[in-house]
Amino acid sequence: MLFAQLVVAGIQTGLLYALTAAGFAIIFGATRIFHVAQGAAFALAGYAFLMSNAAGLAWPLAALLAVVVAVAFGVGMERWVYRPIQRHEASFFTVFVASFGVTIIAQSLIEVSFGRGFVTLSTPLTQARPLLPGLYVAPVFWIALAVTAALFLGLAVFLRFTRAGIGLRALSESPELLRSYGLSSSRLSVLAFAIGSALCVPGAILTAAVTGLQPSIGAHVMLISLAATIVGGIGSVSGAACGGLLLGIAENLSITLLNTQWSEAASFIVLFAFILLRPRGLFGLASTR
Amino acid sequence: MIAYLVNLATLTTIFAVLATSLNILIGYGGIFSIAQAVFFGVGAYAAAQVALHVTPDLLVASAAGAGAAALLSICLALPALRVRDEYFVIASLGLQMLAVTVFTEATPITGGFGGLVGIPPASLLGLPLTDPNAMLAACLGFLVLVLVLTRVLMRGSFGRSLMAIRDNDTAAEALGKNVMVLKTLAVMLGCAYAGIGGALYSAQMQFINVESFTLDQSVLIMAMVIIGGTGTLIGPLVGTVLILLLPAALSFIPGIPPTEIGVVQQMIYGLVMTLLMIFRPGGLVTLRTRRQ
Repeated sequence: MLFAQLVVAGIQTGLLYALTAAGFAIIFGATRIFHVAQGAAFALAGYAFLMSNAAGLAWPLAALLAVVVAVAFGVGMERWVYRPIQRHEASFFTVFVASFGVTIIAQSLIEVSFGRGFVTLSTPLTQARPLLPGLYVAPVFWIALAVTAALFLGLAVFLRFTRAGIGLRALSESPELLRSYGLSSSRLSVLAFAIGSALCVPGAILTAAVTGLQPSIGAHVMLISLAATIVGGIGSVSGAACGGLLLGIAENLSITLLNTQWSEAASFIVLFAFILLRPRGLFGLASTR
Repeated sequence: MIAYLVNLATLTTIFAVLATSLNILIGYGGIFSIAQAVFFGVGAYAAAQVALHVTPDLLVASAAGAGAAALLSICLALPALRVRDEYFVIASLGLQMLAVTVFTEATPITGGFGGLVGIPPASLLGLPLTDPNAMLAACLGFLVLVLVLTRVLMRGSFGRSLMAIRDNDTAAEALGKNVMVLKTLAVMLGCAYAGIGGALYSAQMQFINVESFTLDQSVLIMAMVIIGGTGTLIGPLVGTVLILLLPAALSFIPGIPPTEIGVVQQMIYGLVMTLLMIFRPGGLVTLRTRRQ
């Protein structure tokens, strides 16, 4: 039953990666900004939830606060970092370095404020219960599954049927055409950042409950969600979701084949294979650039 | 105090070699790698093994370091030929994460977490370099050698073709430049330099472990190049000096507890990187003739 147990654990991790990677994919798809500071949004949201909850705030309010923090961070990045950079001719690397710099700042701020150790939320929801003989599943697994499904459903409806959602998809295909139709591309990119950042909040809260948070969690999540985006096909939301799920499962299953020390490396072996053999990912369109 | 300063100067020289090595990739080749600590590590381990088992001669050790790093640079060259921009950055990040695991697990070669201890003091052509000043002089010699070679190569046909590829690879290919060969050579050269840096580092520290070759180190080297100025000979040197003097300078400021210096230092260079990208993306040393 070890195999089934690891698959369940893999799906649970994968769902969290999938949400964060989907947020990254929405931002990258709409604005072509390589927002590596998404990991910082994840960490900040997680810490905001934990700290306000520990201070006595009820969990729905704490979760709301986490969403506010993440969205404020994302929109602030768009307004005060990316937009000034894009005003002068900016190579992708300029954007990347700036974003990476912010990730470092966020990590060290968290380290100064909350210490280097793990902080975690103790809740009965993470206690495993037997589902089948030998297979233990904690209630948090079902919560992760339900939240992820609901959010992806909502996202699909939004992107397909609402005016703003269609605008976002149009922005990724042709910003010039969008502007000539009288839509504001800057307002849409703020929207992309708001949605993309908010999507990492459930993952951050569930990670806080399941494994706990530490200052470098942002960098780790960033790496995984970047890898998931590549594996899924850059800019494709459903691709990022599948990529995240795949990496989460690979990370956990690698324990059966290799030493535990290799579980993080497993993600990157998958990533490397994709880059060399199928760079456009599972669902990516052939790159036109 | 003097011993501390000499040690700091030697480390600065070694990191200047590293920053120059990454500058070949980022500044001249347009290959945005964040895996330079991998080749720094490969060079350091190879040189340490040579020093432990063959000869403590710094020239032999550096040659071994450079050779090993150049050989393994194929791991970076393959994705560099296959993908670019965002994809390549992520590929290099992936390589960095993998390499840390390999360094930790390949205990027979790298000593794992414990690292390699008791690396004998280096010598150069039979002369012992046990005196810190002699070691500093030797490292400076290597740095000058690397800088001169870089200048000669980048001024010549190889460098100009490389920069043409960086600016527009389709146009360069249309002019008959062999993009694949040139990029592979650039990666090999940059990684070989990093290997030399690793060899000098292992000779200077006489102890190496995986902690020195992590993503943080790669980011530090990247920060040196970016803050100093990419694509110039002086820029990475300026960046190296600034970043390595920062912790020393911070320790003289009262009010910062010694345990927090690392965090404050990280915060400062994160802030500087972000602000520079917003206001001066070329780095501190921007070439006036940048667009030539």
